[in-house]
Amino acid sequence: MLRERGRNTTRLVASVLALLGATSAPTRASAQESARTASHEPILRARSLEPTASVKIFDPAGSVRVVAWDHDSIVVRGRVPPSERFFFAGSARGVKLGVEDRVDGKDSAPCDLVIYLPRHSQLSVKTASASITGADVSGWFYSVSGTIHLSGVATSIEAETMGGSLVLDVNTPWVRARTGDGRLLMRGTPQDADASTVAGTLDIATSTIQRGRFASVTGDIRYRGAPAVGGIFEFSNHSGAVDLLLPREAGGVLDLSTVIGEIENGYTQLRPVADVNGRGRSLHLELERDGGHITVRTFKGTIRLRKG
Amino acid sequence: MTDRLVPPTSHLSEAERQCAADGTLGDDDRAAVTRHLAECDECAADVARLRAFIVRAQERTAAPGDLDDLWPAIRARIEEGKVIALEARGAAAASTTRRAPRVRGQWWLLAGAVAAAAILAITLHRPPRQTAASAGQPPAPAGTVQRGGRAIVQVSDSARAYQQQISALLEELELRRSMLQPQTAATVDHDLRLIDSAIVELQEALKHDPDNAALRQLLAASYRQKRDLLRSLDNAS
Repeated sequence: MLRERGRNTTRLVASVLALLGATSAPTRASAQESARTASHEPILRARSLEPTASVKIFDPAGSVRVVAWDHDSIVVRGRVPPSERFFFAGSARGVKLGVEDRVDGKDSAPCDLVIYLPRHSQLSVKTASASITGADVSGWFYSVSGTIHLSGVATSIEAETMGGSLVLDVNTPWVRARTGDGRLLMRGTPQDADASTVAGTLDIATSTIQRGRFASVTGDIRYRGAPAVGGIFEFSNHSGAVDLLLPREAGGVLDLSTVIGEIENGYTQLRPVADVNGRGRSLHLELERDGGHITVRTFKGTIRLRKG
Repeated sequence: MTDRLVPPTSHLSEAERQCAADGTLGDDDRAAVTRHLAECDECAADVARLRAFIVRAQERTAAPGDLDDLWPAIRARIEEGKVIALEARGAAAASTTRRAPRVRGQWWLLAGAVAAAAILAITLHRPPRQTAASAGQPPAPAGTVQRGGRAIVQVSDSARAYQQQISALLEELELRRSMLQPQTAATVDHDLRLIDSAIVELQEALKHDPDNAALRQLLAASYRQKRDLLRSLDNAS
């Protein structure tokens, strides 16, 4: 059984090598990029892996691309400059790989890694400035200043970048996402979502969310979609705006309130009312059709309700 | 009762507030606590809220006994309802009239039981929003969403719980600061300043309007942001 698996992996690696060799020629790479990567050592590692094995990846700078496939193995390829040390270790139950941190305190040189791994692997990816791109993978993705872009089908996603932007275009039952100053864009078909930014813009462009919590401190929050029937949404913002663009046929209940901000209702004729106790303004809307329940609170950010 | 002295610059402890509210302060502490309450609006407001709550709780406890007083009126209404108006026309009305004598005995028993149960339930389990409104208290706990008369209680954010976590995480941050890249440390400090300035604004607003539930929820959300940011530093170092 193990021997058979080993033969499969060897054949797989050979075919991947052939495939990658055929497709690795840069088509539109810049001269600068070619010069950078030309001096890099090509790396290739592969081994058999259990379907739900844990895979931990660390790459300080450059890029990480993770792709799920339906084979019982992991294949890593990429280019690592001579100044950096690549590591790859583990067993069929779990693997750690990546580029070691520099011990001399200098900045790490960019390393580009592409990892193919079983679809149901439990993934942890961490980078400093390297960008992360994932397709059909689940797990935890973290970058200090790199951008993160995840797409495809996943069992759960937890993604955070402190300084970069984050794009999620995933079909997943649960997602948690966070950025600092970078933009956070949520698309695809998530069901439960918890997303926040400190100063970055938070864009939600999907109508599949059943439970959603969206927050920012100073960044604008923009929601484009029809609240799902039975869905519960909570938006809170301190000084950024909350902009809801709902389709004409949207339904549900909306509770909008702000302490010292403004509420602009472009959806119905109702005007916001000042609280009797002087606690800001609020607007309660019950739309004719069934839909979700949306609660929006801001301290001084403007709340806009618009018809799409 | 605690035996600590009450310095004029600090607030009353939780135990002191509770005892001041329910009148169980010891002789040794009463003068100091009373003096503090006269000077500190925040503690005085909190003790007043606790007193109102205790009074309300006592009223609720006494409610079942009051049912005896309510019962004659309920019974009178039930007795009035026993008279069924016979309509000359209408098959449905006639049908109702014909069926009524057959089930009358059981129906009155059932109606009486339902009415008593309803009054008991309303008295003992008044919705928080109605209770609070009548007592001038904050309307609903944080994270409670009123939806079509049905309260959906979500996981409530607690600013106090976040504060405790943040204190520990801030200590960790100072330990980790030397391990952070300068650019990372600058990003973190920038984000922390934004969140802290939001927290200061919300706290200032709450001083003027301590019962504002929306403000408390916004404050809890800001604390949550700060906690999440500090937690993420574990990964950044």
